[in-house]
Amino acid sequence: MDRKFKIDFTEANVQDSVAYILVREFDLKPNILKAEIDGDGTGVMVLGLAGDDDKLDRAQKRLEEEGFRVKELLKRIDRDEELCFDCGACVSICPTGVFSHDPVTWKVVLDTNKCIACRSCVNACARHALSVHL
Amino acid sequence: MSKTYEQINERIRSGKAVVYTAEEVIDIVRKKGAEKAAEEVDVVTTGTFGAMCSSGAFVNFGHSSPPIRMTDIRLNGVEAYGGLAAVDTYIGATSLTEDPKGGYGGAHVIEDLIAGKKIHLHAWGPGTDCYVRKNIDTYITLDDINDAYLYNPRNCYQNYSVATNTSDRTIYTYMGKLLPKMKNCSYSSAGQLSPLLNDPHLDTIGMGTKIFFGGGEGYVTWPGTQYKTNVPEADGVPVAGARTLALIGDMRGMDAKYVRGLDITGYGISLAIGVGIPIPILNKDIMQRCAVSDDELFAEMVDYSQPIDRPPMARYSYAQLKSGKVEYEGKTIRTSAMSSMAGAKDVAATLKDWIEHKEFTLNQPVMTFPKERSLKKLEERS
Repeated sequence: MDRKFKIDFTEANVQDSVAYILVREFDLKPNILKAEIDGDGTGVMVLGLAGDDDKLDRAQKRLEEEGFRVKELLKRIDRDEELCFDCGACVSICPTGVFSHDPVTWKVVLDTNKCIACRSCVNACARHALSVHL
Repeated sequence: MSKTYEQINERIRSGKAVVYTAEEVIDIVRKKGAEKAAEEVDVVTTGTFGAMCSSGAFVNFGHSSPPIRMTDIRLNGVEAYGGLAAVDTYIGATSLTEDPKGGYGGAHVIEDLIAGKKIHLHAWGPGTDCYVRKNIDTYITLDDINDAYLYNPRNCYQNYSVATNTSDRTIYTYMGKLLPKMKNCSYSSAGQLSPLLNDPHLDTIGMGTKIFFGGGEGYVTWPGTQYKTNVPEADGVPVAGARTLALIGDMRGMDAKYVRGLDITGYGISLAIGVGIPIPILNKDIMQRCAVSDDELFAEMVDYSQPIDRPPMARYSYAQLKSGKVEYEGKTIRTSAMSSMAGAKDVAATLKDWIEHKEFTLNQPVMTFPKERSLKKLEERS
């Protein structure tokens, strides 16, 4: 299963190839979900990584030594169960299929592992029940 | 063979009534046929739980000492109508606070009142010889005001369009967030559970019909605004927005679980409310119509990126819409429901439970609703 990480770049390392290090040194399979560079030279990348857990942990340490701030996205999307009334407005908005209806109860169920933290669902929810944490 | 309301109520009172939800009854009618099923089944319960913007509450606050004639009224900062008698008001679901970005409106005030929360009342008046006071700033709850009842001029839309967006930017509508280039679409009817799709020509629903309303009891009072009958049908059921209902019900006895304020991005505030209507199985024709299923009910997709004139692009069954995706000219479009199907099931099941436990009997309408009606356009004149 993919683990997802957020990596913050500084002006000093914004031109370094993180993906190269991950593939070459740790045999990981990166899937870059989001990458942005701001006008001030800092940047942020969100990527999924498939590979050995051990190698993933070592890769994270290595990148941190290189001066990147690396944060694993464990629980990306959160739903306030009290607020949600299972309408399903979020279902068709999500590009990765986090939300679906239980075929029997028709309640909206979440597969949080699929979340890429794009936040598209957040303003689609009329109950303000969804929040995305990075 | 046919039954009367009184016979059905007698069976309810004796605890013998046979009640099914509009989903459960589909298979029964398929297996036994409408004639046989009509003999056995007494009531079919329906349910819907979606955004119904044309909703609101009448409230009477009681008189303060000294008294005030309120002409400018705010409830938690949301504007309520100041054109009724001294301490009467109507708070509309879509009414906003002064800062419309707050994401809070009349629907949320209604939800909070029903939830038993304290509501800030701030009101001003002209000060008259009989109502000397010019302003009041206090707090109220549902328990300490005289009257609070929902009167919703248009609920329970009989079917509704499926909304999509062919443009190349995301649009934000009352049908939700619509992604560019038809990546998604949204529909709002509960399909086979929807009240007015199970009694499409309102043979049993009329003024005085007793209903499940926001977790309490309510009544159908009138044809809803924008009620119309001249829409295309498939197998005798409209495929577009047609009939509507005006509903009334005391807010005391309602449950905030079934009354939810909505902040629809880019559109504004609306109210989602659970409504369930019992259909008495008076004869086999009524039974047959209650057995309608999602694959026999249709809605038309229209392009909400067009500001006016939205011709139907395609027609889909509710079975297709509820499958999560539909096809349009070789393209897959993801679907979303704007109304809660889980909520609609809950409403229909709860109403069934009430009837089975003798807590709810049926009312025969005192007036039926128009068989034919069309809508008028608003003309601009000078």
